[in-house]
Amino acid sequence: MNAMREPITGYYLNLAVLGRPHRLYIEEAGSGIPLLCLHTAGSDSRQYRGVMNDPEILRDFRVICFDMPWHGKSSPPEGWQTEEYRLTSAEYARMILEVCDALALERPVAMGCSIGGRIALVLAMQHAARFRAIVGLQSGASIDPYYELTWFHHPQVHGGEASAAYVSGLMSPTSPDADRWETLWHYMQSGPGIFKGDLYFYRGADGDIRDRLGAIDTTVCPLYLLTGEYDYSVSPEDTRQAAERIAGARFAVMPKLGHFPMSENPALFLTYLRPVLAEIRSRA
Amino acid sequence: MALPLETLKARASGDAHLARFGMDFDCALLVGDGETDWLVRIERGEVASVAKGPFIMPKTDLRLRAASDTWSKFLAPVPPPGYHDLLALRRYRRLQIEGDIRLMSAYLFYLKRLFALLRPPSA
Repeated sequence: MNAMREPITGYYLNLAVLGRPHRLYIEEAGSGIPLLCLHTAGSDSRQYRGVMNDPEILRDFRVICFDMPWHGKSSPPEGWQTEEYRLTSAEYARMILEVCDALALERPVAMGCSIGGRIALVLAMQHAARFRAIVGLQSGASIDPYYELTWFHHPQVHGGEASAAYVSGLMSPTSPDADRWETLWHYMQSGPGIFKGDLYFYRGADGDIRDRLGAIDTTVCPLYLLTGEYDYSVSPEDTRQAAERIAGARFAVMPKLGHFPMSENPALFLTYLRPVLAEIRSRA
Repeated sequence: MALPLETLKARASGDAHLARFGMDFDCALLVGDGETDWLVRIERGEVASVAKGPFIMPKTDLRLRAASDTWSKFLAPVPPPGYHDLLALRRYRRLQIEGDIRLMSAYLFYLKRLFALLRPPSA
Protein backbone atom coordinates (compact mmCIF):
# COMPACT_ATOMS: atom_id res chain seq x y z
CA MET A 1 0.00 0.00 0.00
CA ASN A 2 1.31 3.45 -0.95
CA ALA A 3 1.44 6.05 1.78
CA MET A 4 -1.20 8.76 1.34
CA ARG A 5 -1.24 11.99 3.32
CA GLU A 6 -4.73 13.28 4.08
CA PRO A 7 -5.57 16.96 3.55
CA ILE A 8 -6.27 17.41 7.29
CA THR A 9 -4.11 19.63 9.50
CA GLY A 10 -4.22 19.36 13.27
CA TYR A 11 -3.04 21.92 15.81
CA TYR A 12 -3.47 22.96 19.42
CA LEU A 13 -5.15 26.17 20.50
CA ASN A 14 -4.65 27.62 23.97
CA LEU A 15 -7.63 29.72 24.97
CA ALA A 16 -10.06 30.44 27.78
CA VAL A 17 -13.13 28.22 27.65
CA LEU A 18 -15.87 28.80 30.21
CA GLY A 19 -13.49 31.07 32.12
CA ARG A 20 -10.66 28.55 32.48
CA PRO A 21 -7.47 28.01 30.48
CA HIS A 22 -7.81 25.15 28.03
CA ARG A 23 -5.65 23.40 25.45
CA LEU A 24 -7.91 22.32 22.60
CA TYR A 25 -7.09 20.10 19.68
CA ILE A 26 -8.45 21.33 16.36
CA GLU A 27 -8.45 19.89 12.85
CA GLU A 28 -8.98 21.79 9.63
CA ALA A 29 -9.21 20.99 5.94
CA GLY A 30 -10.24 22.93 2.85
CA SER A 31 -10.87 26.61 2.28
CA GLY A 32 -13.85 28.89 1.86
CA ILE A 33 -17.01 29.09 3.92
CA PRO A 34 -16.20 27.96 7.48
CA LEU A 35 -18.01 24.75 8.43
CA LEU A 36 -17.71 23.98 12.14
CA CYS A 37 -18.41 20.31 12.96
CA LEU A 38 -19.45 19.11 16.42
CA HIS A 39 -18.82 15.51 17.44
CA THR A 40 -21.11 13.28 19.49
CA ALA A 41 -21.03 12.58 23.24
CA GLY A 42 -17.94 10.72 24.42
CA SER A 43 -16.22 10.85 21.03
CA ASP A 44 -14.02 13.26 19.09
CA SER A 45 -13.33 14.96 15.76
CA ARG A 46 -12.23 11.79 14.00
CA GLN A 47 -15.92 11.16 13.38
CA TYR A 48 -15.76 13.76 10.59
CA ARG A 49 -12.83 12.14 8.74
CA GLY A 50 -15.05 11.50 5.71
CA VAL A 51 -16.22 15.11 5.43
CA MET A 52 -12.65 16.36 5.90
CA ASN A 53 -11.39 14.13 3.10
CA ASP A 54 -14.04 14.99 0.51
CA PRO A 55 -12.49 17.04 -2.33
CA GLU A 56 -15.86 18.40 -3.41
CA ILE A 57 -16.61 19.86 0.03
CA LEU A 58 -13.04 21.04 0.64
CA ARG A 59 -13.14 23.06 -2.57
CA ASP A 60 -15.75 25.43 -1.14
CA PHE A 61 -15.64 24.91 2.62
CA ARG A 62 -13.06 25.34 5.35
CA VAL A 63 -14.03 22.40 7.54
CA ILE A 64 -13.11 22.85 11.21
CA CYS A 65 -13.52 20.29 13.98
CA PHE A 66 -12.51 20.71 17.59
CA ASP A 67 -12.29 18.08 20.26
CA MET A 68 -14.36 19.37 23.15
CA PRO A 69 -12.51 19.84 26.43
CA TRP A 70 -12.03 16.41 28.10
CA HIS A 71 -12.40 14.72 24.67
CA GLY A 72 -10.01 13.32 22.10
CA LYS A 73 -6.66 15.11 22.22
CA SER A 74 -8.04 18.12 24.12
CA SER A 75 -7.04 18.10 27.76
CA PRO A 76 -9.37 18.46 30.69
CA PRO A 77 -8.87 21.70 32.65
CA GLU A 78 -6.35 21.87 35.46
CA GLY A 79 -7.86 20.39 38.61
CA TRP A 80 -9.97 17.82 36.75
CA GLN A 81 -8.95 15.07 39.13
CA THR A 82 -11.31 16.28 41.84
CA GLU A 83 -14.23 17.16 39.57
CA GLU A 84 -17.09 15.25 38.02
CA TYR A 85 -17.51 16.26 34.40
CA ARG A 86 -21.06 17.39 33.67
CA LEU A 87 -21.94 19.31 30.53
CA THR A 88 -24.81 21.79 30.63
CA SER A 89 -26.66 23.24 27.68
CA ALA A 90 -25.53 26.82 28.43
CA GLU A 91 -21.87 25.77 28.79
CA TYR A 92 -21.94 23.81 25.57
CA ALA A 93 -23.39 26.71 23.56
CA ARG A 94 -20.97 29.19 25.12
CA MET A 95 -17.99 26.93 24.41
CA ILE A 96 -18.89 26.77 20.72
CA LEU A 97 -19.17 30.56 20.49
CA GLU A 98 -15.84 30.98 22.30
CA VAL A 99 -14.12 28.68 19.81
CA CYS A 100 -15.74 30.58 16.91
CA ASP A 101 -14.46 33.86 18.39
CA ALA A 102 -10.96 32.53 19.04
CA LEU A 103 -10.70 31.34 15.42
CA ALA A 104 -12.34 34.55 14.14
CA LEU A 105 -14.91 32.52 12.20
CA GLU A 106 -17.28 34.83 10.41
CA ARG A 107 -20.80 33.43 10.32
CA PRO A 108 -19.76 29.79 9.97
CA VAL A 109 -22.06 26.95 9.11
CA ALA A 110 -22.48 24.80 12.22
CA MET A 111 -23.09 21.08 11.91
CA GLY A 112 -23.49 18.83 14.94
CA CYS A 113 -24.53 15.25 15.57
CA SER A 114 -26.48 13.78 18.49
CA ILE A 115 -25.62 16.06 21.45
CA GLY A 116 -24.14 18.25 18.72
CA GLY A 117 -27.46 17.99 16.92
CA ARG A 118 -29.29 19.07 20.05
CA ILE A 119 -26.99 22.03 20.63
CA ALA A 120 -27.42 22.92 16.96
CA LEU A 121 -31.09 23.52 17.77
CA VAL A 122 -30.07 25.65 20.77
CA LEU A 123 -27.70 27.68 18.59
CA ALA A 124 -30.50 28.17 16.06
CA MET A 125 -32.78 29.31 18.87
CA GLN A 126 -30.41 31.63 20.72
CA HIS A 127 -27.62 32.65 18.34
CA ALA A 128 -29.05 32.40 14.84
CA ALA A 129 -27.43 35.64 13.64
CA ARG A 130 -23.98 34.21 14.38
CA PHE A 131 -24.37 31.41 11.82
CA ARG A 132 -24.81 31.22 8.07
CA ALA A 133 -26.74 27.98 8.35
CA ILE A 134 -27.14 25.15 10.84
CA VAL A 135 -27.18 21.44 10.06
CA GLY A 136 -28.48 19.09 12.73
CA LEU A 137 -27.64 15.41 12.41
CA GLN A 138 -29.74 13.10 14.57
CA SER A 139 -31.34 16.17 16.16
CA GLY A 140 -34.11 15.74 18.67
CA ALA A 141 -35.58 18.13 21.21
CA SER A 142 -35.55 15.57 24.03
CA ILE A 143 -34.80 11.90 24.56
CA ASP A 144 -36.78 8.93 25.78
CA PRO A 145 -34.47 7.27 28.36
CA TYR A 146 -34.21 3.55 27.75
CA TYR A 147 -30.92 2.82 29.52
CA GLU A 148 -29.14 3.58 32.80
CA LEU A 149 -26.13 5.89 32.87
CA THR A 150 -24.66 4.19 35.95
CA TRP A 151 -22.53 1.68 34.10
CA PHE A 152 -20.81 4.15 31.81
CA HIS A 153 -18.63 5.17 34.74
CA HIS A 154 -18.18 2.51 37.38
CA PRO A 155 -15.06 0.80 38.73
CA GLN A 156 -16.49 -2.66 38.00
CA VAL A 157 -17.23 -2.01 34.31
CA HIS A 158 -14.91 -0.87 31.54
CA GLY A 159 -16.60 2.44 30.72
CA GLY A 160 -15.18 2.69 27.22
CA GLU A 161 -16.28 -0.76 26.17
CA ALA A 162 -19.66 -0.41 27.89
CA SER A 163 -20.32 2.96 26.24
CA ALA A 164 -19.30 1.58 22.86
CA ALA A 165 -21.48 -1.49 23.33
CA TYR A 166 -24.49 0.62 24.29
CA VAL A 167 -24.18 2.85 21.21
CA SER A 168 -23.14 0.09 18.80
CA GLY A 169 -26.70 -0.79 17.84
CA LEU A 170 -27.50 2.80 16.93
CA MET A 171 -25.72 2.30 13.63
CA SER A 172 -27.24 0.76 10.54
CA PRO A 173 -26.51 -2.96 10.09
CA THR A 174 -25.76 -2.09 6.47
CA SER A 175 -22.90 0.30 7.34
CA PRO A 176 -19.42 -1.03 6.58
CA ASP A 177 -17.85 -3.05 9.37
CA ALA A 178 -14.60 -1.10 9.26
CA ASP A 179 -16.31 2.27 9.74
CA ARG A 180 -18.65 0.97 12.42
CA TRP A 181 -15.77 -0.44 14.46
CA GLU A 182 -13.70 2.71 13.90
CA THR A 183 -16.63 4.67 15.34
CA LEU A 184 -16.75 2.33 18.34
CA TRP A 185 -13.00 2.58 18.90
CA HIS A 186 -13.40 6.32 19.47
CA TYR A 187 -15.95 5.52 22.17
CA MET A 188 -13.66 2.97 23.77
CA GLN A 189 -10.93 5.63 23.97
CA SER A 190 -13.12 8.15 25.76
CA GLY A 191 -11.95 9.37 29.17
CA PRO A 192 -13.62 7.90 32.24
CA GLY A 193 -17.07 9.39 32.86
CA ILE A 194 -16.99 11.66 29.82
CA PHE A 195 -19.74 9.98 27.80
CA LYS A 196 -21.91 9.99 30.91
CA GLY A 197 -21.06 13.64 31.63
CA ASP A 198 -21.99 14.70 28.10
CA LEU A 199 -25.37 13.06 28.50
CA TYR A 200 -26.09 15.12 31.61
CA PHE A 201 -27.64 17.97 29.65
CA TYR A 202 -28.83 15.72 26.86
CA ARG A 203 -31.05 13.48 28.95
CA GLY A 204 -32.05 15.90 31.68
CA ALA A 205 -34.56 18.71 31.99
CA ASP A 206 -31.80 21.21 31.15
CA GLY A 207 -31.62 19.96 27.59
CA ASP A 208 -35.33 19.36 26.94
CA ILE A 209 -36.27 22.09 24.47
CA ARG A 210 -39.51 20.69 23.09
CA ASP A 211 -41.53 23.70 24.22
CA ARG A 212 -39.02 26.26 22.94
CA LEU A 213 -38.54 25.17 19.35
CA GLY A 214 -41.06 27.71 18.07
CA ALA A 215 -38.55 30.46 18.88
CA ILE A 216 -36.27 29.32 16.05
CA ASP A 217 -36.38 31.76 13.13
CA THR A 218 -35.14 30.03 9.99
CA THR A 219 -35.34 33.27 8.02
CA VAL A 220 -32.36 34.47 10.07
CA CYS A 221 -30.49 31.17 9.83
CA PRO A 222 -31.59 28.26 7.61
CA LEU A 223 -31.92 24.96 9.49
CA TYR A 224 -31.41 21.52 7.94
CA LEU A 225 -32.18 18.36 9.89
CA LEU A 226 -30.92 14.99 8.64
CA THR A 227 -31.61 11.77 10.54
CA GLY A 228 -30.52 8.21 9.83
CA GLU A 229 -33.34 5.66 9.78
CA TYR A 230 -31.72 3.06 12.06
CA ASP A 231 -31.20 5.45 14.98
CA TYR A 232 -33.44 4.52 17.90
CA SER A 233 -31.95 7.09 20.27
CA VAL A 234 -33.05 9.96 18.02
CA SER A 235 -35.39 8.26 15.61
CA PRO A 236 -36.61 9.84 12.37
CA GLU A 237 -39.94 10.29 14.11
CA ASP A 238 -38.24 12.24 16.94
CA THR A 239 -36.65 14.63 14.44
CA ARG A 240 -39.87 14.88 12.46
CA GLN A 241 -41.73 15.98 15.59
CA ALA A 242 -39.09 18.64 16.28
CA ALA A 243 -39.11 19.84 12.66
CA GLU A 244 -42.88 20.22 12.70
CA ARG A 245 -42.52 22.81 15.46
CA ILE A 246 -40.00 24.91 13.53
CA ALA A 247 -41.35 26.97 10.63
CA GLY A 248 -39.10 26.60 7.62
CA ALA A 249 -36.97 23.75 8.97
CA ARG A 250 -35.88 21.32 6.26
CA PHE A 251 -36.04 17.67 7.33
CA ALA A 252 -34.94 14.53 5.55
CA VAL A 253 -34.56 10.90 6.61
CA MET A 254 -31.32 9.22 5.56
CA PRO A 255 -32.05 5.58 4.66
CA LYS A 256 -29.43 2.96 5.57
CA LEU A 257 -27.76 5.23 8.12
CA GLY A 258 -27.97 5.40 11.90
CA HIS A 259 -26.90 7.64 14.77
CA PHE A 260 -23.36 8.33 13.48
CA PRO A 261 -23.95 9.04 9.78
CA MET A 262 -20.69 10.90 9.13
CA SER A 263 -18.63 8.17 10.80
CA GLU A 264 -20.46 4.85 10.31
CA ASN A 265 -20.71 5.22 6.52
CA PRO A 266 -18.94 8.40 5.34
CA ALA A 267 -19.38 7.67 1.63
CA LEU A 268 -23.14 7.28 1.89
CA PHE A 269 -23.48 10.27 4.25
CA LEU A 270 -21.69 12.52 1.80
CA THR A 271 -24.38 11.84 -0.80
CA TYR A 272 -26.90 13.41 1.60
CA LEU A 273 -24.65 16.21 2.83
CA ARG A 274 -23.22 17.54 -0.44
CA PRO A 275 -26.59 18.83 -1.80
CA VAL A 276 -27.31 20.55 1.53
CA LEU A 277 -23.92 22.28 1.50
CA ALA A 278 -24.39 23.20 -2.17
CA GLU A 279 -27.68 24.87 -1.31
CA ILE A 280 -26.08 26.73 1.61
CA ARG A 281 -23.29 27.89 -0.67
CA SER A 282 -25.72 29.09 -3.33
CA ARG A 283 -27.44 31.28 -0.72
CA ALA A 284 -24.15 32.91 0.24
CA MET B 1 -40.25 -18.61 14.00
CA ALA B 2 -38.77 -20.01 17.16
CA LEU B 3 -35.36 -18.86 18.28
CA PRO B 4 -32.85 -21.48 17.08
CA LEU B 5 -31.34 -21.73 20.55
CA GLU B 6 -30.62 -25.43 20.12
CA THR B 7 -27.96 -24.43 17.57
CA LEU B 8 -26.42 -21.67 19.68
CA LYS B 9 -23.61 -23.68 21.18
CA ALA B 10 -22.38 -24.76 17.75
CA ARG B 11 -22.75 -21.27 16.31
CA ALA B 12 -20.82 -19.74 19.22
CA SER B 13 -18.01 -22.26 19.15
CA GLY B 14 -14.78 -20.65 17.97
CA ASP B 15 -16.39 -17.25 17.32
CA ALA B 16 -13.68 -14.58 17.36
CA HIS B 17 -15.99 -11.79 18.61
CA LEU B 18 -17.11 -13.81 21.60
CA ALA B 19 -13.51 -14.68 22.37
CA ARG B 20 -12.52 -10.99 22.14
CA PHE B 21 -15.25 -9.69 24.45
CA GLY B 22 -15.94 -12.66 26.71
CA MET B 23 -12.99 -12.51 29.09
CA ASP B 24 -13.94 -14.16 32.41
CA PHE B 25 -17.65 -14.10 31.55
CA ASP B 26 -19.82 -16.41 33.63
CA CYS B 27 -23.58 -16.09 33.26
CA ALA B 28 -26.79 -18.06 33.60
CA LEU B 29 -28.84 -16.43 30.84
CA LEU B 30 -32.55 -17.08 30.49
CA VAL B 31 -33.98 -16.39 27.01
CA GLY B 32 -37.70 -16.47 26.35
CA ASP B 33 -40.03 -16.00 23.40
CA GLY B 34 -43.31 -15.99 25.31
CA GLU B 35 -43.90 -19.72 24.93
CA THR B 36 -40.53 -21.34 25.55
CA ASP B 37 -37.69 -20.53 27.90
CA TRP B 38 -34.10 -21.59 27.37
CA LEU B 39 -31.29 -21.47 29.88
CA VAL B 40 -27.92 -20.64 28.36
CA ARG B 41 -24.94 -21.32 30.60
CA ILE B 42 -21.87 -19.26 29.75
CA GLU B 43 -18.69 -20.30 31.50
CA ARG B 44 -15.40 -18.45 31.12
CA GLY B 45 -16.72 -16.85 27.95
CA GLU B 46 -17.88 -20.07 26.31
CA VAL B 47 -21.40 -21.34 25.77
CA ALA B 48 -21.22 -24.43 27.98
CA SER B 49 -24.81 -25.62 27.59
CA VAL B 50 -28.27 -24.67 26.39
CA ALA B 51 -31.28 -26.28 28.06
CA LYS B 52 -34.89 -25.99 26.98
CA GLY B 53 -37.54 -25.24 29.63
CA PRO B 54 -39.92 -25.16 31.26
CA PHE B 55 -37.98 -24.56 34.46
CA ILE B 56 -39.48 -24.55 37.93
CA MET B 57 -37.30 -22.08 39.77
CA PRO B 58 -34.21 -21.42 37.67
CA LYS B 59 -31.32 -19.54 39.22
CA THR B 60 -30.37 -16.92 36.63
CA ASP B 61 -28.18 -13.86 36.30
CA LEU B 62 -29.95 -12.30 33.32
CA ARG B 63 -33.36 -12.78 31.75
CA LEU B 64 -34.18 -11.54 28.24
CA ARG B 65 -37.69 -12.11 26.95
CA ALA B 66 -39.52 -10.89 23.87
CA ALA B 67 -42.53 -12.04 21.90
CA SER B 68 -41.97 -14.63 19.19
CA ASP B 69 -42.80 -12.21 16.35
CA THR B 70 -40.32 -9.68 17.75
CA TRP B 71 -37.54 -12.27 17.68
CA SER B 72 -38.57 -13.24 14.13
CA LYS B 73 -38.00 -9.68 12.92
CA PHE B 74 -34.77 -9.45 14.93
CA LEU B 75 -33.50 -12.58 13.18
CA ALA B 76 -33.95 -11.22 9.64
CA PRO B 77 -30.64 -11.06 7.74
CA VAL B 78 -31.09 -7.27 7.54
CA PRO B 79 -33.59 -6.50 10.32
CA PRO B 80 -35.89 -3.48 9.98
CA PRO B 81 -35.06 -0.35 12.04
CA GLY B 82 -36.05 -0.84 15.66
CA TYR B 83 -35.59 -4.62 15.46
CA HIS B 84 -31.89 -4.70 14.62
CA ASP B 85 -30.33 -4.65 18.09
CA LEU B 86 -31.14 -5.82 21.62
CA LEU B 87 -31.28 -2.26 22.92
CA ALA B 88 -33.40 -1.20 19.95
CA LEU B 89 -35.91 -3.81 21.12
CA ARG B 90 -35.62 -2.41 24.63
CA ARG B 91 -36.05 1.21 23.43
CA TYR B 92 -39.40 0.33 21.90
CA ARG B 93 -40.38 -1.81 24.93
CA ARG B 94 -40.32 -5.02 22.92
CA LEU B 95 -37.69 -6.72 25.07
CA GLN B 96 -37.85 -7.33 28.79
CA ILE B 97 -34.43 -7.18 30.43
CA GLU B 98 -34.13 -8.30 34.06
CA GLY B 99 -31.31 -9.26 36.35
CA ASP B 100 -27.73 -8.15 36.83
CA ILE B 101 -27.49 -5.05 34.65
CA ARG B 102 -23.90 -4.48 35.73
CA LEU B 103 -23.00 -7.85 34.27
CA MET B 104 -24.98 -7.11 31.13
CA SER B 105 -23.23 -3.76 30.70
CA ALA B 106 -19.78 -5.24 31.21
CA TYR B 107 -20.42 -7.93 28.59
CA LEU B 108 -22.87 -6.18 26.27
CA PHE B 109 -20.71 -6.67 23.17
CA TYR B 110 -20.63 -10.39 23.93
CA LEU B 111 -24.38 -10.61 24.48
CA LYS B 112 -25.19 -8.64 21.34
CA ARG B 113 -22.92 -10.90 19.33
CA LEU B 114 -24.44 -14.02 20.88
CA PHE B 115 -27.91 -13.03 19.69
CA ALA B 116 -26.65 -11.86 16.30
CA LEU B 117 -25.20 -15.35 15.78
CA LEU B 118 -28.77 -16.68 15.75
CA ARG B 119 -29.37 -14.90 12.43
CA PRO B 120 -28.96 -16.88 9.23
CA PRO B 121 -25.46 -16.46 7.80
CA SER B 122 -25.32 -13.53 5.39
CA ALA B 123 -25.24 -14.43 1.72
